[in-house]
Amino acid sequence: MHPFQYQRADSADQAVAAVAKTPGATFIAGGTSHVDLMKEDVHHPSLLVDVSALPLKQIAAFEGGVRIGAGVSNTAAAYHPDIQAKYAAVSEALLAGASVQIRNMASMAGNPLQRTRCPYFRDPAQACNKREPGSGCAAIGGYNHVHALFGASAACVATHPSDLAVALAALDARVQTLGPRGPRTIAFPELHRLPGNTPHLDTVLEHGELITAIDLPAFAGRSHYLKVRERASYAYALVSCAVALEMDGPTIRRARVALGGVAHKPWRVGPAEALLAGQLPTEQLFQAAAKAAFADAQPLEHNAYKIPMGRNLLVRALLETSGLQPLQGPAGTAFAASVGGVAGQLATPR
Amino acid sequence: MSQPIARAVQTGDLAPDGVLPDGSRLSALRGQPVILAFAPDEWDPTLAYQSEIFARLSREFGSGAAFVDTAAEDWHALDCRGALAAQFGVAGQRALFLLDEYGVVRWKTVVPPGQDLRPGQVLAALEALNSPPAAPSSGGVFGGGLSRRTFVTATLAAAALLLLPGCGDGGGSSDQDSPEAEAAASGTDNIPVTLNINGKTHRLQLDPRVALLDALRENLHLTGTKKGCDHGQCGACTVHLDGQSTLACLTLAVMSQGKEITTIEGLSTGEALHPMQAAFLKHDAFQCGYCTPGQIMAATALVQDKNVRAGSAVDIREAMSGNLCRCAAYPNIIAAIQEVQRA
Repeated sequence: MHPFQYQRADSADQAVAAVAKTPGATFIAGGTSHVDLMKEDVHHPSLLVDVSALPLKQIAAFEGGVRIGAGVSNTAAAYHPDIQAKYAAVSEALLAGASVQIRNMASMAGNPLQRTRCPYFRDPAQACNKREPGSGCAAIGGYNHVHALFGASAACVATHPSDLAVALAALDARVQTLGPRGPRTIAFPELHRLPGNTPHLDTVLEHGELITAIDLPAFAGRSHYLKVRERASYAYALVSCAVALEMDGPTIRRARVALGGVAHKPWRVGPAEALLAGQLPTEQLFQAAAKAAFADAQPLEHNAYKIPMGRNLLVRALLETSGLQPLQGPAGTAFAASVGGVAGQLATPR
Repeated sequence: MSQPIARAVQTGDLAPDGVLPDGSRLSALRGQPVILAFAPDEWDPTLAYQSEIFARLSREFGSGAAFVDTAAEDWHALDCRGALAAQFGVAGQRALFLLDEYGVVRWKTVVPPGQDLRPGQVLAALEALNSPPAAPSSGGVFGGGLSRRTFVTATLAAAALLLLPGCGDGGGSSDQDSPEAEAAASGTDNIPVTLNINGKTHRLQLDPRVALLDALRENLHLTGTKKGCDHGQCGACTVHLDGQSTLACLTLAVMSQGKEITTIEGLSTGEALHPMQAAFLKHDAFQCGYCTPGQIMAATALVQDKNVRAGSAVDIREAMSGNLCRCAAYPNIIAAIQEVQRA
């Protein structure tokens, strides 16, 4: 690990000022991703500004929804009664991600800012435009089974690994930030960017811009998160989806769908959402929506399996969210969010 | 352990207020730059060996000769065992702080016992003086009636003071064999880190890069906490921070300050095992035992977690998924946890 200076911030203003004026400085909160990447020789901050002691740890009602402080732990957010009851997709995404230890450490602002799990990004011996701009992309001609179907570029085919980010994109969460030029609000689907020619930039955040809160807007429908992974628990999603349905009697008034594990950012699928709006929920409709969601997929050499897997997953998520098929575990828990594995055991009496 | 060590003052911090040897307060010097040099000895440029140090610095940095006089009133030679050193978190160390006219630390360096100041550190100080001032002081941080030349020479004068023998490496120091002293001697930019582990306070000098896991094992010799993957994938390093299971390998020691840290060594009461330790023995919940401390720490936190349904094997499997066991003692681990849950 490269040497760095360490500074503990006592206020958000102080933290922003400290990072903004120091080239190579970064914030650190939970550190679960950042410290790992520092050990891997991928991140080399000149200065770590510790924001873990800042008073950003409240969860409170806000404009009919909920405001979650940036420093709230993933565990605290996942089990908060308002979030578990009204925003099940958020709790399910959090609890189906990582392990108890990591959820206790990780912050709500840090989780969506974690870096890709592309193995070439994490290996400094390999070419990676995200890690080292201009060095090339070893994944494009390499083993790309966990890589992107949508929005990739000739420079980068990495996917974003956060489960939480997928749920927040589907629920149109808003990100409150404080930067060197003051505070601003970013619509969650706009927080992350596509790789283009600058894949080293994951988000639209400026140097020294600190997330202070995540707002969940008022929502009266049902939401759900479902993920497929290579083992039963404690693994990143191969493909995942978050669904938010608002009903008008028996009819779907508004549907929002975001896919995970398929792009450089949570991938909202407008065509599928448009197809669902104003319709009665049926399996046939959901099949059509899933087909539309993956119509533009551009598979690489090893990841075409994600297309049928993603379609089937989305159909199932829509069936479970609309109530046509029961959830396989209690809403707002990891058992509702997991396909197979540990959750599959719920089918047998406990 | 002697007096409490304050959190080390860092570059960018507002310097703590304190009393200088002449009785005046540090805050009374606002409006002018201040150099604080903590060292074991009074600086006396008439002493032959100290003159040599000056001559060496002059050659190395190309400064003029008679700079000591012009700079003398702007820097303060202070006893590194005094109250002010403790306030700045550098008790017993050779350290140099440059404060701007607002009392904000613009640069600091600490020279560990047994080591010499590196010329690079002095160059870094000069660079700090050339860097753009912080936002509130856009009028020029060191512009207040003091020429850059004077200030640069003053810096060199104070830096030279750091070349004096260190506080901790002379004869008569009693704690040379302690892990703390060992840690202090091992790094170049160590900072004071105070950890509360199993109810006991430990004061260390650590590189900020040191993970809590390595501080426990290498500095404090609490080797019950195991290093498995060192990347947050196996759970062998699980400890409790304020009662919550945490991965010590992905936690920087410096960020663990102010928290109650519990390791496997802190679970038993004397010879009496914690119920979870006893249950692991009874159910043979291990084979090689390497993952066991992490498993037990995760399991004891799990039993306290109201979100895990007691008695549910499915819930236990999900909640324990961050702890891998290459010997696959999983059924026995679950049985041990269920027994403690039932008790």
